[in-house]
Amino acid sequence: MTQIEVSGLTKIFSIDEQDITAVSNVSLSIEKGEFVSIVGHSGSGKTTLISIIGGIMKPTSGKVLFNGQDICNLDDDDLSAYRNENIGFMFQFASLLPMLTSTENVLLPGLFSRRKDMNAVKKAEEYLSLVGIGDKVSAYPSQLSGGQQRRVAIARALMYDPPVILADEPTGDLDEETEADIMELFRKLNREKMMTFVFITHNSELAGMASRQLRMTRGILSGV
Amino acid sequence: MQTEFTISSFALRNLKRKPLRTAILIAAIAILVAALVFALSFVSRVSSSVRLASERLGADILVVPAGSRGAAEDVLLENKAKSFYMSRGVIEKLKTIKGIDQLTYQTYLTTMQGKCCDVPETVVVAFNQDTDFIVKPWLSEKFGRKLQKGEALVGNESAFNIRVGLIDVDKVLFGNVFKMVGVLDKTGTGLDNALFINDENLEDILIKGQTDLRPGQISIVFVRVKKGLDSYKVAGEIEDAFVELDTMARKDIGKSIIMTLRDINQIFIFTMILISLLSGFLTWAIFSAIANERAREIGIMRAVGARESHIVTVFLTEVIIVGSIGSIIGIIGGTVLSIVLAQSFSIMKSLPLHLTIMNRILIACIGFLIGNAICIAGALSPIQKIKKMEPLMAIKKE
Repeated sequence: MTQIEVSGLTKIFSIDEQDITAVSNVSLSIEKGEFVSIVGHSGSGKTTLISIIGGIMKPTSGKVLFNGQDICNLDDDDLSAYRNENIGFMFQFASLLPMLTSTENVLLPGLFSRRKDMNAVKKAEEYLSLVGIGDKVSAYPSQLSGGQQRRVAIARALMYDPPVILADEPTGDLDEETEADIMELFRKLNREKMMTFVFITHNSELAGMASRQLRMTRGILSGV
Repeated sequence: MQTEFTISSFALRNLKRKPLRTAILIAAIAILVAALVFALSFVSRVSSSVRLASERLGADILVVPAGSRGAAEDVLLENKAKSFYMSRGVIEKLKTIKGIDQLTYQTYLTTMQGKCCDVPETVVVAFNQDTDFIVKPWLSEKFGRKLQKGEALVGNESAFNIRVGLIDVDKVLFGNVFKMVGVLDKTGTGLDNALFINDENLEDILIKGQTDLRPGQISIVFVRVKKGLDSYKVAGEIEDAFVELDTMARKDIGKSIIMTLRDINQIFIFTMILISLLSGFLTWAIFSAIANERAREIGIMRAVGARESHIVTVFLTEVIIVGSIGSIIGIIGGTVLSIVLAQSFSIMKSLPLHLTIMNRILIACIGFLIGNAICIAGALSPIQKIKKMEPLMAIKKE
């Protein structure tokens, strides 16, 4: 069953009166429960592509259908609800809010959700344990290392069991052992909960773990 | 187990991140509201005092010597010790005016401590007991008799302001000894600080020669017009008939004070606009800086599902917390200022009326609303700008 259908997607940035095409006429179908990797050089348009799929950026042209609905035409409320309920983001940079503890950062999507989970705090702590920082539930980002912050962000993306995880170099700051553990967790969730994973990586070994590998080159997407 | 956090607690934590900046913003709003509360208290007290005093005098028209309107207002509204005289003959003249129903007159003498009298400077009102309708309503029924020669009544606040309040005390006034035999009820006029004597005493006072009053003189005539007649019209008739007299209809009493107040009001309004603009600009500058600083955080919040309205709510909650704390401090400060500084304004010292609790609550509400409104107005543009940013652009903004 096709979960994400991208067709003719183009994104052009105007910088200093110059047009730069970040994504060029990309079309792509992703089935529910797929485990997809995207590789490519820096500036090849990978982050732009998953940002448009995740609804945090509008394309210049083209369509993104999620379960048959074009997310590019949604108003702010519906697009925010789409991100909140369907997408778990993992950014390539520190993305925690400094005034919130680890648990509160994990709970953040719930603050903006219409659905309320009575066991959310317990579940957030369980996810923090799953990513190996169960002893840091009350720590603020400034008290955590870069790798630990990354793991809090991973727990936040997984917390409300979104059907799609979009991850931009999710294991970038992690040591090899933790990286392997996290990838194993992703695969487990992918298998057991049928979560769709689309992740960007520069690591060919990690890319090889995906059921489908894609490559971006100067905004053009191709299969590996 | 951690407690669940809400958008309000979220906003509160944001404010705590930069305590000095938050304190500066709160201080700016507090200064604005304090100035506003002080100005409103001042204007409100003066205008209500003047309005009430004119209503409580009980006369429709006041008749004074030409050119003495200001002096009469000074005596009646502010208890300033001033004297002005005209011939008692005007009473007979006034009786020829058809619209007049009732009239009485008073003579004002000013005391000077150490020279004529052993009381501080004040006004001694000599009134005619047979025709009086000005003093009588404020004299307790318990008194139940006419004032005799050598007796005096004291105004309700005389004990405090001129230290003459205890009855059965003898005081020397213009070379004659008077026994204080009663205290008038509070009138809410300048007469609360005066002393009252029967005008039969004037003969003895004139004999002692310690006043500038001459035989056959009075200061003021209080007139009640016939039911259904326009007091302005009757006042006009009096002035047309007798050029040596000036009149004041009830609603015009205190006009000169109100006019002065209007000028003070304009200064207050101008100052308020300036402070409001400065506070609004400061709020705008601080919230623009906050919006820039937090662009990435806002982008992250948007990425995990925050709607534009959530971002607005977070910022507005911060603005309202700052505005409310600033306004409350300002209300307290402004109220204290209006009480303490009132003693520095001669017009306030002499005004009998104090603001009621309801007046103060109303002024506090106005201060609170304006403090918050200025804060919200200042922060609105940065909030609008940041909420419209595409989440990824906000995240990438440095």
